Amino acid sequence: MRQFPFRATQAPFSHPGWQIGPGLIIAGSLLALTIAGVAALLWQAQLPEMSELWQNRYLSNVIRFTVWQAILSTVLSLGLGLFIALALVRQPRFPGRNLLLRIMELSLVLPTIVAVSGLVGVYGRHGWLTSVVEHWTTVRWNLYGLNGIVLAHVFFNAPLAGRILLQALESVPAPRRRVASQLGLTGWWLWRILDWPAVRRVLPGIAALVFTLCFTSFAIVMTLGGGPASTTLEVAIYQSLRFEFDFGRAALLAIVQLTICGAIWLLMVRRGLSANLSPERRFSEAIPRPDSQGIVRFRDVVLLLCFTLFLLLPLAAILFRGLPGLVTVAVDGGNPLADLADATLRSFAIALPAGVFSVLSALLVLALATRGGTNLSRLSSVATAVPLMVPPIVLGTGLFLLFRPALGHSFQGLALVALINGLMALPFVTQLLKGPLTGLDEPTARQADQLGLLGWYRWRWLHWPRLKRPLALAMAYGTGLSLGDFGVIALFGTPGQPTVPVLLYQQLGSYRMELAAGTALWLVTLLLLVFAAFNLPGYRRKQRRHQHDALKTLAEARHA
Amino acid sequence: MLDVKDLTFRYPDTETTWRFTFHVDHGQCIAINGPSGSGKSTLLNLLAGFLTPESGTIRWEGDLLNNLAPWNRPVTSLFQEHNLFEHLDVQTNIGLGMHPGLRLSTEQKQTIVKGLASVGMAGFESRMPGDLSGGQRQRVALLRALLRDQPILLLDEPLTGLDAEARTQLRSLLLRHKAAGKVLVLASHDAEDRKILADKQLNL
Amino acid sequence: MLRRPLTLFAGIALPLLASSQGNETLTVYTHPSFAAEWGPGPGVKEAFEQHCSCTLEYVVLDSGGDILQRLRLEGNSTDADVVLGLDTGTMETARQTGLLAPHSIGLESLDLPVDWQDSLFVPYDWGYFAFVYDTEQLPNPPKSLEELVNAPEELQIIIQDPRTSSPGLGLLLWMKAVYGDQAGEKWQALSDNILTTTKSWSDGYFSLFMNGEAPMILSYSTSPAYHMAIDKTDRYQAAEFEEGHYMQVEVAALVEPSDQKALAREFLQFILTADFQRHIPLKNVMYPAIDLGDELPEVFDRLIQPDTTLFIDPAIVAEKRKPWLDEWLNAMIP
Repeated sequence: MRQFPFRATQAPFSHPGWQIGPGLIIAGSLLALTIAGVAALLWQAQLPEMSELWQNRYLSNVIRFTVWQAILSTVLSLGLGLFIALALVRQPRFPGRNLLLRIMELSLVLPTIVAVSGLVGVYGRHGWLTSVVEHWTTVRWNLYGLNGIVLAHVFFNAPLAGRILLQALESVPAPRRRVASQLGLTGWWLWRILDWPAVRRVLPGIAALVFTLCFTSFAIVMTLGGGPASTTLEVAIYQSLRFEFDFGRAALLAIVQLTICGAIWLLMVRRGLSANLSPERRFSEAIPRPDSQGIVRFRDVVLLLCFTLFLLLPLAAILFRGLPGLVTVAVDGGNPLADLADATLRSFAIALPAGVFSVLSALLVLALATRGGTNLSRLSSVATAVPLMVPPIVLGTGLFLLFRPALGHSFQGLALVALINGLMALPFVTQLLKGPLTGLDEPTARQADQLGLLGWYRWRWLHWPRLKRPLALAMAYGTGLSLGDFGVIALFGTPGQPTVPVLLYQQLGSYRMELAAGTALWLVTLLLLVFAAFNLPGYRRKQRRHQHDALKTLAEARHA
Repeated sequence: MLDVKDLTFRYPDTETTWRFTFHVDHGQCIAINGPSGSGKSTLLNLLAGFLTPESGTIRWEGDLLNNLAPWNRPVTSLFQEHNLFEHLDVQTNIGLGMHPGLRLSTEQKQTIVKGLASVGMAGFESRMPGDLSGGQRQRVALLRALLRDQPILLLDEPLTGLDAEARTQLRSLLLRHKAAGKVLVLASHDAEDRKILADKQLNL
Repeated sequence: MLRRPLTLFAGIALPLLASSQGNETLTVYTHPSFAAEWGPGPGVKEAFEQHCSCTLEYVVLDSGGDILQRLRLEGNSTDADVVLGLDTGTMETARQTGLLAPHSIGLESLDLPVDWQDSLFVPYDWGYFAFVYDTEQLPNPPKSLEELVNAPEELQIIIQDPRTSSPGLGLLLWMKAVYGDQAGEKWQALSDNILTTTKSWSDGYFSLFMNGEAPMILSYSTSPAYHMAIDKTDRYQAAEFEEGHYMQVEVAALVEPSDQKALAREFLQFILTADFQRHIPLKNVMYPAIDLGDELPEVFDRLIQPDTTLFIDPAIVAEKRKPWLDEWLNAMIP
């Protein structure tokens, strides 16, 4: 028998400092960078009169429009996302399920100019769908205006919301699902008992995320908005900084944007935390839901098919437009092909580290939420969202002022681009990992504490097995967002060698429209490959789990 | 000797304050009796360090345990269920009790194989907990407790819900623990369990 | 096991590190369409490096606005020796930074429709803003700005936002140059013909115009040259307007804190030679700043030749920008 006092085997990284320190540093630097960015502008100029905000008709209109379109887009994206997630959880054997999931993941990371081109090809004045609808019905559809803005925002965000909600719905503990299945609960009660508790945990976070994305939307709002009446604050900030060099006004508007989005996050984070973090003892298996048959099944399948088309048609438009260019490049070879290959390698050299960085930071910041108290937890939620709320142009200016003296070499510049790309992906990655990482059920946590599974060991034995799939998906998002990024890399300036999105813009600038369409298609293909590749390990494991389920059912039958 | 003196605890937002005083010697089993909600589990969680008492002391061999983290206490808990990590196989579940990083010597690995055989589960090393019956799962959990080799065993309804055969098997395993000089703290509804295992009673 | 991926990564990353080895390096801040593989950048670099025993290095920034912004932020510590890619819309702000030095080179060889005597800015190309139309969708384009403004609602056009884009600002000035105080009303009349106002030229041209969304887009009179010479199609043409066309001049300038002023002046001088200018017509799709004679590609003869060149002094533009933008906003927002 071991002698007392007994000391548990010291687990690596089990000191509380390790759980909180790095996350605190990351969260702190995010906030510091933001403040530095805005402060740098203020330092260069004086803050204009606050009263300008409500006295200037133009500005107050801009703020009102920004809020209005963001609310509308958020409500619709969340609503549609929820219906899709419910349909997907009810119909686990829906034939195109995997394909649909991949496209859902893809839509968020599509570069705006590519996505808009696809959307216009389908819903534009001469788009496929518009032509069909106007030929057969008397409906007159005009993409340009609030319609188009909301449509595009739903196209980007409903799949994101659906994807995260699906993950939450699938994590409902198996015993609870079995009970629901046995009781034959349907409709309102099934929602109350099974779905709502799962959804409630993540909904505030997604709402805040989507709201911020729509609030800060820029090129989409302008391209599809129809005219200057559709202007977001972000446009006004860009205008002040780039064309008027009115730093004070830019800072003022940035502060307004930060205040509104920050308030939404704080509100949502409070609600999200007060919601009961249902202990999930998970590895849920396919338990048939009482409401997955008959008319409901038919309705679900129709809904999923329509949604698939909604996402797939614009991609098809990109495919048709880009194929001739891409085929030419592939067949003719030579310089264009070499350029594309080089740009691809270069893109991955930035995007993969960016993905790793964003996932690591998200894990460290989330450790704050699990190990630290309520305040640290709130800090972590808001800090990760900050990169979304600050206009990139402001963040870029701030970072530039901070890092400029250290930027000796272009390689460091590219490393910085990877770093910022990683930070930009942080809000998404955090949302994806939050559920799986923070949802350790009490019995498991107690067992682990007693056995001394702390620090690295806890991660190794308890978190890692449950996190593999979410981590892979998070990596895909982090990498994908960086792969499609044009803004950050353009902000910092690059030597002549372009990444794929930069190549795309260079081709556009030189009227190489066919080539550009080909590059756009190639970019979409790359993004799709990234998501497919990162989903592979999870896919295989899922297959194996089905086997276990079969065994388990047997075992339960024996001992029932 | 495990010595608990004037240990008090109150759940937030409730009126009732629990108060416990008792002591147990090596090789003895104390049965905690009382209806549901009388604080049996609360006491076990206090001893394990999952809950923090308001006042009073827990001493083992004269040393104060109150301020030790769960992983530094000389105790092992066994609950009615949820004792195993569902996503890890049997040998990993047991091995983690011996070293949280699973750095095991060849001898230790053999101990696991032999231990499984001794509880009638030879060849179960790579099975997942989900594939086992309730009795088998408790045997694995108990084996882990045995191999983890802490002097105090906290038992929270460990035999409830098992069939007669499994009960008999587990009882004899627990008696072996006791004979090896361990202290057992048992919360159980079952009169027979108490009769066979317990040396003294604590009525709540 | 780990070595292979590492070498692979190094193989990918090292080309990124490739940097200059020359004895002297001239750093030029420019925008993507100039530095792109198909842009004039690579040809210009090669030609200039033959002249001098130096290395020409481009730092590519998003737009002319970004070049200026970067210069302001860096101030006296800037690496730039030359900035190339400012235009008539941003040059006055650039002048006010005090970070530019006189070029002190002769501008006699310039061949612009306007007289250019600026001591800081060296023009390297120029063009007219014009509406480019799709002849298949629009066989009979408007013949004047007035006709466009009064066109029936069926004629939809794409423009760029003057708040975020140079051609967008160009149209604003064009309207101002033609209509003066009446510009606001004319914008109101035009507004029902505007399908949408995009952030940048690329957004509109690629996503909308080439997708057939509207038959006409605000662009440059030289745009058809590219389609005719490289795409081998006459489908896209510029509409010539009776009132005349507004002109844009793209300029380069010497950076005051540069410690390579002699080399930089050599480069500015080089801009006004055929070795630089021959890359402009088809690679930047603009008019060269000097007379290229026979070297000007033939398609340039087939472009519209406006009778009147409209141009407002950049100093006045800088001063009036804000009220004119407000006028535009008031006209466009009901």
